[in-house]
Amino acid sequence: MALFIDGPEAKIEKTGDTTVTLRLFRGDVYEGLEPRRLFPLSGLTRYITLLDSDQKEKAIIRNLDGLDEESRRAVVECLNEYYLIPKITAVNQITEKFGILSWHCETDHGRRSFRIRNRHSDIKMLYDGRVLIRDSNDNRYEIEDIKKLDKRSRRLLASEL
Amino acid sequence: MKDAPTQPPPKRIKKYTHTAGVTTDGGMNVNRIIPPNIKKVIDENIGGDEKRLFAVVCDLTIKANYDDAVLIFTDKRFAVVDESSFTSYSYADVETAKVKRMYGNACIVLTYRDGSRHRILKFTYTVADLCEMAVSFVENIAKGNPMDEEMEIVNATYAKLNLICPKCGRTLIRAGAECIHCQSKSKVISKLLKYVKPELKTLALCITISIITTAIALLPPYMTQTIVDDVLPLQATGAVAEGLSKLGFLVFFLLSAYVVNYSLSAFRGYMLRRTGDRMVLALRNDVYEKAQHLPMKFYDKTSTGSVINRISGDTNTIQAFILKITQECLIQFMLLIGIVVIMLVMNWKLTLLSLIPVPAVAIGARIFSKKIAPFYKKIWRRWASVTSIMTDTIPCVRVVKAFAGEKRAKENFNRYNQEWYNVDVASAKITQIFPNVINFAVVCGSLLIWAVGGRWALLGEVTAGTLVSFISYASMFYGPVNFFANLSDSYQSALASTERIFDILDAESEEVREDGIKPERLEGKIEFRNVNFSFDKTKKTLTDINITINPGDIVGIVGTTGSGKSTLINLLLRFYDHYEGQILVDGIDIKDMDLGTYRSCIGYVQQEPMMFSDTIFNNIAYGVPDASVEAVLHAAEVANAHEFIVRQPDGYDSKLGERGVGLSGGEKQRLSIARAVLKNPSVLVFDEATAAVDSETESLIQEAIERLISGRTTLMIAHRLSTLRKANLILVVDQGRIIEHGSHEELMALGGKYKKLIEIQSMGNNAGLTVPN
Repeated sequence: MALFIDGPEAKIEKTGDTTVTLRLFRGDVYEGLEPRRLFPLSGLTRYITLLDSDQKEKAIIRNLDGLDEESRRAVVECLNEYYLIPKITAVNQITEKFGILSWHCETDHGRRSFRIRNRHSDIKMLYDGRVLIRDSNDNRYEIEDIKKLDKRSRRLLASEL
Repeated sequence: MKDAPTQPPPKRIKKYTHTAGVTTDGGMNVNRIIPPNIKKVIDENIGGDEKRLFAVVCDLTIKANYDDAVLIFTDKRFAVVDESSFTSYSYADVETAKVKRMYGNACIVLTYRDGSRHRILKFTYTVADLCEMAVSFVENIAKGNPMDEEMEIVNATYAKLNLICPKCGRTLIRAGAECIHCQSKSKVISKLLKYVKPELKTLALCITISIITTAIALLPPYMTQTIVDDVLPLQATGAVAEGLSKLGFLVFFLLSAYVVNYSLSAFRGYMLRRTGDRMVLALRNDVYEKAQHLPMKFYDKTSTGSVINRISGDTNTIQAFILKITQECLIQFMLLIGIVVIMLVMNWKLTLLSLIPVPAVAIGARIFSKKIAPFYKKIWRRWASVTSIMTDTIPCVRVVKAFAGEKRAKENFNRYNQEWYNVDVASAKITQIFPNVINFAVVCGSLLIWAVGGRWALLGEVTAGTLVSFISYASMFYGPVNFFANLSDSYQSALASTERIFDILDAESEEVREDGIKPERLEGKIEFRNVNFSFDKTKKTLTDINITINPGDIVGIVGTTGSGKSTLINLLLRFYDHYEGQILVDGIDIKDMDLGTYRSCIGYVQQEPMMFSDTIFNNIAYGVPDASVEAVLHAAEVANAHEFIVRQPDGYDSKLGERGVGLSGGEKQRLSIARAVLKNPSVLVFDEATAAVDSETESLIQEAIERLISGRTTLMIAHRLSTLRKANLILVVDQGRIIEHGSHEELMALGGKYKKLIEIQSMGNNAGLTVPN
C-alpha cells in the first residue's frame, strides 16, 4: 500500500529543479523524489505522488493544502517546473483547413500559435467551463473558464466547441 | 562562460511562436528562421573562424514563457542564445547530455565530467525531437566521434523533418511536397470532379432536357395573358364561337405542353438518380478501400464511429450537392433569366416593381449563411459524439451489464444526445425563421404588384391579362431567388462533408511501394538495428532495440505489461512505420519489401482473436481465400480445431455470430491458429495466445502451437514457464529496452529480472495458481 501523507507527519525540501527530499517525522528520509500529479487534468493540488529516480512511488500527498507552508511551496515549485499547461487568456484567431485547426492565442506564458489535429480527441470540454487542449506536438493548454473570456474569444470558440 | 552582448538588442516585434519545417541559414540547417535580434547576438559572438554547423530555434525561456532561444552548434562549441545573452559550452566538458521530457515541456540537462549538472534550455515538445538529436550529437562529439559522421546523422534528421508538413504536421509523400491537407478549398471541389467526369454525358443530357422543360414551364402564364386579354373579351363582342375554338386550341396546346414537360421530367429524374447513385457508389467504394489501407496510427487517433459516419453519411451529402450544383443551379439560373426577359418585354415598369424585394432576400441569405455555418459543424460533431458513444458502448454491453452500468450508460448517452438536441434546436430557430422572413418579403412584393399594377390596370395603362400573368411570373421568379439564397447553405454542409471525406481519402496510407521487393519465401532471419519508437512525443516506447534472431529460432518475449513487448511485434508486422533505425528480415529492410507479400509471410495469432461474422470455413481461409477444402481441414486439424468444428450442427458452414454459434475464447483461439497454419508462414508471431484460456484448452493450443512452429522462426509473447522452456532465445523487455537476452538457463544463471519473474510465477504455480502477468 502506498504511504499517504496528510501533512504534519512530513517535511519536504526542494533540492533540485524538479526534485525534493522527503523527511518523515518517524525518521525515514527519501532523497531525489520527483513530485507528479496523479490527476494532472482533474486534480491540480490533490494526490501528488513522489517518485524516486527509478520512477518508483515512495509516497502520495493527499492534499497539498495539508502540508506546512514551506513543504507546500517546495512541491508547488517542482510541479510548476514540471508541468507546463499555459492558460489561454484570449483567443485572437481561429482558422481551419481540412479539419486541422490553427489557434492564435494569448496565454499566461505569452503569445502562442498552435495546431490541433483532431478536434474530437484533442479538445476536451469539461462541464464547469474548463477546456483542455492538446496541440499537434502534444503540448497542453487550458482555458480555465470559458465563460470568463472576453466576448470576441467566446464567439471564436463558440463555433469550435 | 557568460558573454553579455555589447549593446542592447533592438526592441523585438511581438509575434506568435511557431512550428515550422526546415530552412537553412547561410548553409546551416535550422528548423526555422533565426529571429534577427538573436541572429545579431550570434554574429557578435561567433566569429568567421568558427564553422557553424546547425541550430535549433527553441520556443521557451528558462522561466517557461514563450520566447525564442537558439541552440547553435559550431565545430568548436555549442551555445544557447537569446536576445540578451550568449552562453557557450565546450563539448569536452560534457559527460552526458540528456533531454528531460516533462509535461508539455522538456529541458536539456548536461552532466559535466566533474559531476555537476546544468539545465541549459527549456522548450516545448514542438522541438523536442530535434533537441534529442542535438544532445546525442553533443554526447557523441564529447566521446570523440568524428564530426563528419555525426553531421550526417544531423543532416538526415533535418531532411526527415522536411518530410513533415510545417502547417499540419502530417508526413508528406516526399520531401518538400505540397501538403494535400493544406491546399485551398477550391482544390477540394476540383477533387470531386473525378467523380463527376464519368457522368458528364448523362449530366449534359439531363441539362438539355432541363432547358426544354424550363422553357415549357414559362409558357402557362403567357397563355393566361392571351386567354384573359384576347379570348375572354370575345364574350363582350359576341364572337363566342370564335372564342370557344381559340380557347379549345389554347387548352389543348397547354395540355400537350404539360404532357411533354412531365414525361421529360420523369425521364430526367430517373437518369439523375442513376447518375447520382453511381457517383456515391464510386465515392463510397473509394473511401472504404482507403479505410482498409490507412495505417494503424490513423485508427489510434480516430474513432471507428466517425470513420463509419463518413462512409455512410457524408457521401450522401456530397452526392446531393453535386447534383444540385450540376443541375439545379443551371436550371434555376435559366429560369431566372427567362422570367426577367419575358417580364421586361411585357412591361418594364412592373418588372422593376417586382424586383424591389430582391436585395432584401439576397442580403438576408448572406447573413443567414454566416449564422448557420458554425451550426452545421457543431451539429455534425455532436452527432458524431452520439454515434461514437453507441459504437463504443454497445459492443461492451457485457461489461455494462456485469457491472450494473445500464443506468450510467443511459445517462452518459442521454447527456450527449441532449447536447445534440440543444445545438440542433438552436439551429432550428435560425433555419426556420429565415425562410419565413424571406417568404414574407416575397408576399409583400406581390402585394405591391397588386396594389400598383391593379391601379395601372384600372387606369388602363396595362391590360388585365398582363397583370394576371405578371403575378404568376413574379411568384415563379422567387423560386430561383430562394434557391440561390439557400445554395450557400448546402454548399457549406457539402464542403464540411467533403473535407471529412478527403480527410480519409487523402490521409497518408500505409506506404505501398510499387517497386517493393517480393521475396518468394523468407528464411526468417530477423534483425532489429538501433530501433527507437514512440507513439507520440511524450514517451519513448522502444529504445535502442538491437537483436538478431536466426531462422528457426523460437523466441520468447517476456516483460511486464506496458513494457513494449506488443509494440515490438507491431513494428515487425509493419503496423507502424515511423520508427527510427532498421528492421531487416533476411537482410532486407522490411520497408523495402512489398507490404502484401511481406505480411503474407508472417502468421500472427493475437491474444484476442477477431472473427468475422462469416462461416468457420471462411474465417480459417481468410488469409488464403483460394485455399482448397482439404488444406483448410488440415489446418483445422493441426490447430486442434477440427474436433469442435465437427460438433457444430452446421460444421464448417456454421456462421459465427449467429444464433447458437458462439465460440469460447479457446475455440476462437484455435481457429485463429488454424488461420495462421493455413498461411504456411515463415515467421510466426504469437501475442499472448494462451493468456486468456483455461489450462486444458491451453494444452490443446500449446500442442497446436508446437506442431505449427517446427522449422519456422517463432516469436511469442508469453508468460508461462511451460511455453518459455521451449524457447532457445528469451528477450526480457523492460521500459522499452531489451534488458536481458539468452536461453532460459543462461538467464536463470544471470539472476536478473527474468529469474525474478520466473520465481514469482513458480510461487503462484505452487499455490495452484497461474499468474497472468
